[in-house]
Amino acid sequence: MSAFLVALIAGIGAGALYAMLGSGIVVAFRGSGVINFGHGAVAGYTAYSFDELRESGSLYLPWFDPIPEFGFLQTLRINNLPVRIDIFDNVTLAEKPNLAITFIICLLMSAFLGLLMHFLVFRPLRNSPTLGKVIGSIGVFLYLSSMCAVHFGGQNRYDEGFTGFNSTSGAVKNFLGLGGTIPRSNFWLFGAAIVMCVAVWALYRYSRFGIATRAADENEKGAALLGYSPQFLAGANWVLASVTAGVAGILFLHKTQPAQIALFVVGGLGAALFGNLTSIPGATMGGLIIGMIASGGVELTTNSWWPEIIPGDGVRNFMPLLIIILVLYFRGDKLPIRGSISIGRQPRAPTSTNVIIGAIAALGIGLLLSNIFVSKWEAVLTTTIIAIVFMYSLTVLIGFLGQISLVQWTISGLAAYVMIRLMADGTKIRETDFVTNTGWGWPTVLAFIAAIAVAVIFGLLVGLPALRIRGVQLAVVTIAAVIAVESLLLRNPPLMGDGSVSVNPTPSPNWFGQYVGGFNPNTARTDYWKFSLFIIIIAGLIGVGVANLRRGQIGRRFLAIRANERAAAAAGINVANMKLLGFGISSGIAAIAGCMLAYKLPGLQTDQFEIFGGLALLAFAYLGGITTVWGAIVGGCLIAGGLLPEFLGVHFESVDTGLINAVGAIGLVVNAKVTNGEGVALLQTDLAKNTLAALRREPDETEEAEENSNNDTEEVTA
Amino acid sequence: MTNILETNDLTVTFGGLNACDHVDLAVPTGKFVGLIGPNGAGKTTFIDAITGYVPTSDGNAVFDGNDIGELKPHERAQSGLVRTFQSLELFEDLTVRDNLLVAAYPTRWYTFIADMFHLSRQDKEIEERVNWALNIMGLNDVSDSMPTDLSHGRRKLVGVARALAAKPKLILLDEPAAGLDTAESQTLGGHLREFLNHDMSVFLIDHDMGLVLSVCDFIYVLDFGKIIASGTPTEIRESAAVKAAYLGEEAGEIQVQEGERMRSQQHESGEDND
Repeated sequence: MSAFLVALIAGIGAGALYAMLGSGIVVAFRGSGVINFGHGAVAGYTAYSFDELRESGSLYLPWFDPIPEFGFLQTLRINNLPVRIDIFDNVTLAEKPNLAITFIICLLMSAFLGLLMHFLVFRPLRNSPTLGKVIGSIGVFLYLSSMCAVHFGGQNRYDEGFTGFNSTSGAVKNFLGLGGTIPRSNFWLFGAAIVMCVAVWALYRYSRFGIATRAADENEKGAALLGYSPQFLAGANWVLASVTAGVAGILFLHKTQPAQIALFVVGGLGAALFGNLTSIPGATMGGLIIGMIASGGVELTTNSWWPEIIPGDGVRNFMPLLIIILVLYFRGDKLPIRGSISIGRQPRAPTSTNVIIGAIAALGIGLLLSNIFVSKWEAVLTTTIIAIVFMYSLTVLIGFLGQISLVQWTISGLAAYVMIRLMADGTKIRETDFVTNTGWGWPTVLAFIAAIAVAVIFGLLVGLPALRIRGVQLAVVTIAAVIAVESLLLRNPPLMGDGSVSVNPTPSPNWFGQYVGGFNPNTARTDYWKFSLFIIIIAGLIGVGVANLRRGQIGRRFLAIRANERAAAAAGINVANMKLLGFGISSGIAAIAGCMLAYKLPGLQTDQFEIFGGLALLAFAYLGGITTVWGAIVGGCLIAGGLLPEFLGVHFESVDTGLINAVGAIGLVVNAKVTNGEGVALLQTDLAKNTLAALRREPDETEEAEENSNNDTEEVTA
Repeated sequence: MTNILETNDLTVTFGGLNACDHVDLAVPTGKFVGLIGPNGAGKTTFIDAITGYVPTSDGNAVFDGNDIGELKPHERAQSGLVRTFQSLELFEDLTVRDNLLVAAYPTRWYTFIADMFHLSRQDKEIEERVNWALNIMGLNDVSDSMPTDLSHGRRKLVGVARALAAKPKLILLDEPAAGLDTAESQTLGGHLREFLNHDMSVFLIDHDMGLVLSVCDFIYVLDFGKIIASGTPTEIRESAAVKAAYLGEEAGEIQVQEGERMRSQQHESGEDND
């Protein structure tokens, strides 16, 4: 019992990080009405900057040189966008730069990040619908994480930073006579969280800036009438929020790897919700509670009676989700939705015309590119097609139904694992396999169907909260679910097999006697032609199905719900059923994508389905166009390793995946602003249409269009 | 004669205030019943209560012979109790025609399988009904437009047409004429009585006293959540209680109408600010 209590108290260490991140999220939310998923990434980037300054004396600016540094471009020497500033000379291990100066420089960096976020992302998106804002903050998350990978290699860092806050500061023995030890740094971090809480709270309570922010939070229009610029206040709050994130990142540098801090945003989100998104002390308390119950829960798993099937890490990562669900369940309707002066319209979701012609054309192009005819693009083509299939699931759920779920890629992973486990029978499949999986040895088709069924059931479970909560809050739940499911299911050795940390070999898939795996035993490469044909056909069928769905009754109903749930109920639509149906269909499609990926590869690795991969796929789906089948196809071609980047002749290795994702994140934000998420696909359809119309018609047509757009803006401001 | 809708002691409480206070009201089958009352009298709250959008604290509502107290909004709509909204609550991403089709077709969850293979058949009767609804509201020429491309008034007509397409047994019209221009108002007013020929009863809330008095068979007057008068249009015109509620003791009928119109305009502009 006392060990449990000690663990609870020790949890204030991790809790302090959640508390600080949560406070920052609240600050940003009060200032701008945006829940920032990228808040942890700001902390991570600042922490990396701090370490880099201490180690090498260089400061990396949060951007990259857009002109790649290889090939003939390198010889042209036109790469001159400053990326690195060498601040300290002669840095050695013995003589590191001054702590305080480094600290201040890094806080300036985080303030700069805050300004960039405000001016480049959230200010332009201030009138976008919820989806646009969520996507914007996911763009920040992806971009900064990618920048960390590009500049700092995503490597672990060991700078000890401030004395007291690092792990070397010893331990408190026998705390309060309970026995056991608690790291002394936990108390320091706890103290820092309390100091930050009081400081920010006092700033809001007593300063003119704080009072104006609170006023704008209550009533943006009213504050504007009193002469406070809401946008100035928003910018100032972004800076404040980023600085608190920076402080958290630097203080935790030695306790938590900077690469991980971005993911701790989930605990921060839980903390912020606990504080009702408005209260700094509430968020601080929420963070500490999450940290403490997580630590206590992990302690419980060390007991002998604890079932081995629930790993300690899973318990830890489940706690933020638990708190978020509890808060939303009990206060779901009462959580503030910060009013802004206007809210933009949803992205259009036109019906697909010429579905059959399009499908035949796509099939033809796919076959032409496949290794049936060309042997060069096999891996690229199948990667692209799998991404497209996955993006169809987002088209249905986010594009048609308007439910922002970030967990779909995890569902793909779940399905892939379930399928592999069901198919495996303990035999070694290839010479190269160094692990064998035991399992039930189900036939391929049966395992495939069962995997889809499991995914659909899981998707329905995720959909349940969506019946009560909507918009950005659903995004918060699902991102917490990603973290929890990853560690509870996908990284769970007893459940997912001994190989889940390294490689899970895929048993050879046989559909009706035909081997359709991607791995070709003759060439020892993943270029087997039957696999290409197989997934081209599957992708074609699903694409036609999704396009037809939009044309049919269900598609209309999904869009009706997306537009207006109240009116949908008045039109006799069972909103709850339709939402669950959407989650089910989407999860089924995502599961197929996951299983296809399992067929393609000789083995599955857990990190293929981790959060960054999922968010990057969402980013490119949004970039292509989240509301149309055509958009999913465009999005699939854009991903790292997809057709377009490969055709551009650039072969991207690990670091450059970061670059591609960074480019995608930028495109994401631009797209959210410019096309409202309709994406490249609709943009070019519109361009084609407008050009045709301009060629055919006299100018009064365009005047009419202008009038309509004027009407729209009027309505928005009204 | 049977009543399609009956409420007994229906009460809605918002934090101690009775927005609807023991309202007893009946809509006879096949009749046109109106509900009038000054701003804030609880008219829309009454519709919200019988369609399930706000919880009732007392009393019950009987629709088509069944107590509907336990039904969810969409179940009430499916059973034939269909409402329109005072504010525009259209599906803005769907064309006008699709707005109607959403309400017109019944859907089972497995419809998606037929949908994905593009197999769902058009039901002739339903399509005819949708065409009729578009026609009667004068929306034929814009059936493939987006609601956002229409004028405010025509968008309101889309709302009415959507309710008509749902094949209501009783249609609840919440201020359908507010915000309409003269021509649109006449289109609507001219066709309201026609609804009765299509197996439905009509319940109308409106600020336009002239409209209500001219089309209704029977009128209820609501003030401060209570029914203060009821009767045929002639009786309501003469009723002292109504005049008192609207304008004080001495007011005449013309002023009633004018005052009402001003109120409705204020109401409209007030709503746009929301």
